[in-house]
Amino acid sequence: MSRVDLENVTLRYPLLGLRSRSLKHRLVRAATGGVIGEAAGVTYVEALRDITLRLRDGDRVGLIGHNGAGKSTLLKVLGKVFRPTAGTVSIEGRVMSTANMAVGMEAEATGIENITTRGLLLGMRLREIRDHIDEIAEFTELGDYLSMPLRIYSTGMLTRLAFATVTAMEADVLLMDEVIGTGDSAFMEKAEKRLKEFMNRSRILVIASHSDHVIRSLCNKAALLSHGCLLHFGDVEAVMQTYTATALARVS
Amino acid sequence: MRALRADLGQNHPIAAICAVDVWGYLAWQDIRLRYRRSTLGPFWITLSMAIFCLSLGYVYSRLFKQDIVEYLPFVTASFVMWGFMAGIMTEMPNLFVDSAPYIKDININPLIIVMRALARHVVTFFHNAFIIIGIYLWFGMAPTPALLMFIPGFCLTLVTMSGVAVVLSIIGARFRDISPITQSAVQVLFFITPVTWVPSMLPKHSRILSLNPFTHLLEITRAPLLGDSPAPGAWASALVICGMSVFCAAVAYRIKAQEIPFWV
Repeated sequence: MSRVDLENVTLRYPLLGLRSRSLKHRLVRAATGGVIGEAAGVTYVEALRDITLRLRDGDRVGLIGHNGAGKSTLLKVLGKVFRPTAGTVSIEGRVMSTANMAVGMEAEATGIENITTRGLLLGMRLREIRDHIDEIAEFTELGDYLSMPLRIYSTGMLTRLAFATVTAMEADVLLMDEVIGTGDSAFMEKAEKRLKEFMNRSRILVIASHSDHVIRSLCNKAALLSHGCLLHFGDVEAVMQTYTATALARVS
Repeated sequence: MRALRADLGQNHPIAAICAVDVWGYLAWQDIRLRYRRSTLGPFWITLSMAIFCLSLGYVYSRLFKQDIVEYLPFVTASFVMWGFMAGIMTEMPNLFVDSAPYIKDININPLIIVMRALARHVVTFFHNAFIIIGIYLWFGMAPTPALLMFIPGFCLTLVTMSGVAVVLSIIGARFRDISPITQSAVQVLFFITPVTWVPSMLPKHSRILSLNPFTHLLEITRAPLLGDSPAPGAWASALVICGMSVFCAAVAYRIKAQEIPFWV
């Protein structure tokens, strides 16, 4: 069983190198982004404010909200990149994030070497990588290119390599910032199937997306974030309607 | 496939140090890639260091009126050790900024990144150690049992420099001025530390020597390399310095390591 429990999570992101800001002893509310404030001489953005969220096995959650609402920050808190300023995060199960699939890739290293590096950084052991490298390599359809340096790869080839490695993993809690994929049309069908399998293997899925279609087709719950606050959490359609209504209200 | 590892981001420093398959592989790849498109790879550093040692050894032996047979091995051993320590200090303040994607996008203990860099420096050091072997061969010096004391000396220096590395990398991520300050400081330290000059040129118990931590670290590694035993008290001082360094690293890590993702 996996579970994710956030209790009153607040995250303040210090803005360093903005000394002049600290002179303005007031709160600034911008149209996008979290609330900007100041404490002990350091300007900060309150990227998440008092978020309580409980997820259980089978939950497929879509995160929605305007740019800077805190979707990616929330994913990073769930992925344990950021430790919250206040509140507690307790997660059972193996967490994996598909954000920035290029971390650790070296232009001079070969495709196979890069698969190994990526695998290690995603939490695999060398032995496991050896066991699965053939499967990953075969899926990429890159053939002889896999023994050549990444420097000569096209963007599409890079994406294939990163995609194949990430989707070979198994996660209990899967975090995605927008749907990952490959642009190549011939490859797309195969990739979609693999992605679906990959997502289905996870017990809990949290995906941030600006696409209504993605949220409606993949999720059974949705969470609406605005200025770092969790405005609404529950049924996808209900949350979507709130979001559309607030978006319209802002326009008019 | 289920990963057996709990996760790379575990806070406990021991967990990070034990993730040797990760930092070891990354460091090994760093070195391998340096070889890939260059014949000499990391030996270029060794070559330039060898030329530096030879020319400095020749000129300074005249300048300081030292016997070249004594002075050249001295300056070589000195400089190889100094290069190791200075290299670590110069790289660390920028380490997390340069590895920003690792810190910001994946759940990884920053110590794993420090360990990767340290491993790289150790490998580079062993490349440079060939210069000392060359000196031994050239001057027909015979290895003595005292040489064995280099192993604990180097280990202690490595632990001390690891502490320094943790502190500098954390402070350097928060304050970007630390990098240029460190670079200037390392240059000054090179001149006030007995790297190119022999400590015995100064009056005994000179503060220039005793207050400088690098004097002692250099002494416990260089003396065995030259087949001598270190000056009395050097080991005791080095142990104290090592303890202080590890203590500062532990404090810096405990208080600030969690905030690094916000800084880079």
